[in-house]
Amino acid sequence: MDKIQEFIEKVKGLNKKVVFPEGEDQRILLSASELLKEKIVFPVLIGKKEKIYEIGKNLGISNLQQIEIIEPENSELFNTLVEKYCENRKNINKNIAEKIVKRPLIFGGLLVNTGICDSMVAGAANTTANVIQAAALTVGYFEGIKTISSFFIMVLSDGKIYFFADCAVNILPDENQLAEIGITTGINYKKLIGTNPKIAFLSFSTKGSASHPSVEKVQKAVKIAKEKNKEFDIDGEFQVDSAINEDVAKRKIKEFSPVAGKANVLIFPDLNSGNIAYKITQYLANAQAYGPILQGFAKPVSDLSRGAKVKDIIITTVITCLMN
Amino acid sequence: MNDTEIMERVKKVISEVLGIDKDKIEVTDRFVEDLGAESVQSLELVAAFEEEFGIEMDEEKALEVKTVKDAVEFIKKYL
Repeated sequence: MDKIQEFIEKVKGLNKKVVFPEGEDQRILLSASELLKEKIVFPVLIGKKEKIYEIGKNLGISNLQQIEIIEPENSELFNTLVEKYCENRKNINKNIAEKIVKRPLIFGGLLVNTGICDSMVAGAANTTANVIQAAALTVGYFEGIKTISSFFIMVLSDGKIYFFADCAVNILPDENQLAEIGITTGINYKKLIGTNPKIAFLSFSTKGSASHPSVEKVQKAVKIAKEKNKEFDIDGEFQVDSAINEDVAKRKIKEFSPVAGKANVLIFPDLNSGNIAYKITQYLANAQAYGPILQGFAKPVSDLSRGAKVKDIIITTVITCLMN
Repeated sequence: MNDTEIMERVKKVISEVLGIDKDKIEVTDRFVEDLGAESVQSLELVAAFEEEFGIEMDEEKALEVKTVKDAVEFIKKYL
């Protein structure tokens, strides 16, 4: 069984409720229909009922009547969620909150905040910045985390799995942000794969083989991450070959490292390297790339690519549910 | 409504939403860099301006406004 099928089987039976704020998008409708039909999750759509039924009819979706659809302004939950918003955002009065809570992304985020839904999947029709903004205002950040980032699950043709981060959100993270990205990705590796991660912070230098401010940033990030997290194996700075190949690691690294040559979580120093790395692995090594999956929020919220297909939406939903 | 009145009301809204002293807000201040607004608060500022002036703004363009002075100019288009 491949890893994604394994994830799907794991989610079935967990009875997860997932809100999709872009309920009027055709791909979201088709995904919701499939997710319900296959008993993977209970989807909740946000949007105008009339419009959703019309789109659903045109698409030939047969189980639309069984899917919960919420129109924020007409929902019996509206006032409760407005109160919740004001409670979380002390400087915002009720009138302003009412304007904000009408927005599907905000309403969806509040459904997750209040536990009515387990997670939110959006981004098919909204930018990543809008999804992050809505989640930050409603769901909030994971304890001790200030940096929202993302990871990709890379599945190689031999079945080997690596997590890559951050390949989609932070352009030039500083050492503190980089350390947070490493730890958060490690936490999600453990949640999804079930074993402890081996986290490698990457650079063009291995254990001081080169000297440059950008190398020093990675070295500082390793130190911060090790201080903040004693549970996971964390090390660096490594060139990528020293991180993933044991023979190279033995030749290049003389000191003991629990990560060198065995890394399964690769933390890139900036978005240039992270983004290039995941695409080059995807296209030249024919790896499957699943993501970007957002991380750092108190509860799971995922961002879809605006070009996402139904299969991508279903996989992202499944992964998001396992991050709970 | 003249420019001074609009400016005063804009400063009042900024002060309430960002929780800062109204008298410390300068016309040339930038929301994020000078007034310490988190980028996620831009949505709240837009909604608060709409509420204060009883207007509906083009959200995408409103979110591009970066300074107090530009906010006043932008709001004037809707009055």
